[in-house]
Amino acid sequence: MKRSRAVSLGILGAAAFGLAACQQEEQTDAAAFPDEASCVAAAAQSGWFTREDCAATFAEAQALHAETAPRYESRELCEEEHGVGNCGGDAAAGSGGGGSIFMPLLAGYLIGQALGGGRAMAQPVVPKAGGGYATPTGGTQLSRLNSTGKMGTAAFAKAPTTAGQPPMTRAAVQSRGGFGGAAATRSVGG
Amino acid sequence: MDRITLPERPEWRAKAAELGFTFADMHGEPYWDETSAYAFTLEEIEGQIEDPCTELHGMCREAVAAVLADEALMERMGLPRLRWEFIRDSWEAGEPEVYGRFDLAYDGKGPAKLLEYNADTPTSLYESASFQWLWYEDQLAARVLPEGSDQFNRIHEALVERFAEIFPPDTDLHFAAIAGAPEDYATVETMAWAAREAGMGAHYTDLEKIGISDQGQFTDAEDRVIGTLFKLYPWEDLFADEFSAHLAGAQCRFIEPAWKALVSNKAILPVLWQMFPGHPNLLPAFFADDTKGLADAAHLMLAGHVTKPIFSREGASVTITAQGKVLERATNRDYDRHPMIVQGYQPLPVMGGFRPVIGAWMVGEACVGLGVREDRALITQDLSRFKPHFIEG
Repeated sequence: MKRSRAVSLGILGAAAFGLAACQQEEQTDAAAFPDEASCVAAAAQSGWFTREDCAATFAEAQALHAETAPRYESRELCEEEHGVGNCGGDAAAGSGGGGSIFMPLLAGYLIGQALGGGRAMAQPVVPKAGGGYATPTGGTQLSRLNSTGKMGTAAFAKAPTTAGQPPMTRAAVQSRGGFGGAAATRSVGG
Repeated sequence: MDRITLPERPEWRAKAAELGFTFADMHGEPYWDETSAYAFTLEEIEGQIEDPCTELHGMCREAVAAVLADEALMERMGLPRLRWEFIRDSWEAGEPEVYGRFDLAYDGKGPAKLLEYNADTPTSLYESASFQWLWYEDQLAARVLPEGSDQFNRIHEALVERFAEIFPPDTDLHFAAIAGAPEDYATVETMAWAAREAGMGAHYTDLEKIGISDQGQFTDAEDRVIGTLFKLYPWEDLFADEFSAHLAGAQCRFIEPAWKALVSNKAILPVLWQMFPGHPNLLPAFFADDTKGLADAAHLMLAGHVTKPIFSREGASVTITAQGKVLERATNRDYDRHPMIVQGYQPLPVMGGFRPVIGAWMVGEACVGLGVREDRALITQDLSRFKPHFIEG
């Protein structure tokens, strides 16, 4: 016999890859707003968050932004990542000789329903160069604010603290994405 | 060799959808087509395809050694000099190959002729190893194909054996493809299934999400260090990428190994012809600027000649010329900037209005299966159809 006795038949997606299969993350209701007032305006129609949730999550998002927003060693580098005019100096770094650390401005925030009840979850979003918004790690991206939908709960995981840490240099910013330049959007196989 | 009309399996589209074979139709045209199939005799399979391809692979290995030993030939390969040492090291360390696909012109009469060797990033692995196998088993069960028939398709089992042979049990392997290309992803996942069956840990990352650690090692989208990387992305493109300077120091084993950059390269075709002139499975081939070689070989190319860039995919930038006239010119010219080679024109047979190309799969150093693609055009491009095959009883 010149054929296999048995083969794997499915290419459904993650099944062949061990770790990917464990990372089936749960989805939750989420909404994105540019500010607290927009959230409050939408709270009346929402079944799962209140005006009070809007205030509490906005305050939490502001605090998380100050703590976890990406920090850069130059305005130029920050603007390359987040768009011209979207970056400011790091107020928290002021005492240590300041002025040399830049971070994207808070563009809005995400509010998410906690699975199993409890307080609504919060996450800040910052602008991206070329349009759209992203969470501090860049792991979740949004095309627009004032939107609602289902989102993986990982979007609300707290990003690593950047306040008080050395800012990213150009080399650090470029430490991912060094492969794939020739491919753009085409299939590369033969 | 024959092209035989057969009833389609009534439920095959539903089955394809259920299995995740989402590109069974592409660009609004059928890609998987089982309204007919190619039939071969066992002698054709073993004597004309299997044994010659195993031999051709051995010849390619000899050619790699010859190219690495000859700076002038190395120049011809169009690869950056800064990476030559990295390529040489992969060969001298004996880094093992996993897979490749010979594309052959074969009409069931004369010897099969090597058109090119996709030795680095061949795709259509899922269709060949898995969906085609399922077609055969279904048609056998439905008595559309008789007892005693067979299919040349040990691809999956051979891949499992190959992974088990070259890696210790439980080795973590990363598999990377360009994001958003389902055909590429299918090939990568098929490969990963085989690796898992061989007892390896298989992890996926989009190629673009690969990063570099402080220690200069490659990391996946979740910052795990990559010890072994199967990359469905051509070496010549990796060498042009920003991370290429990190390749040598990354302590990463690659599949395919870097020396495959010399084999998947059409500049290997004139080297093979120089080393094995007149071999029955080779077409005469020359570098395009080798005017003396081409003039001396004019009597070997009376049927015409084909101009191909040393790097190209899916027939791009290929031109076929006969009697001084262009017979066909690929519309996709993306690879025109590369150096060219000239190969004797071997017309593909015409069967049922289509021109089949035999894809002979190599795993390790042995030929283990085949898949047929056919196209109405003279140059097999990305609108070609994949056809199942069987061996007559």
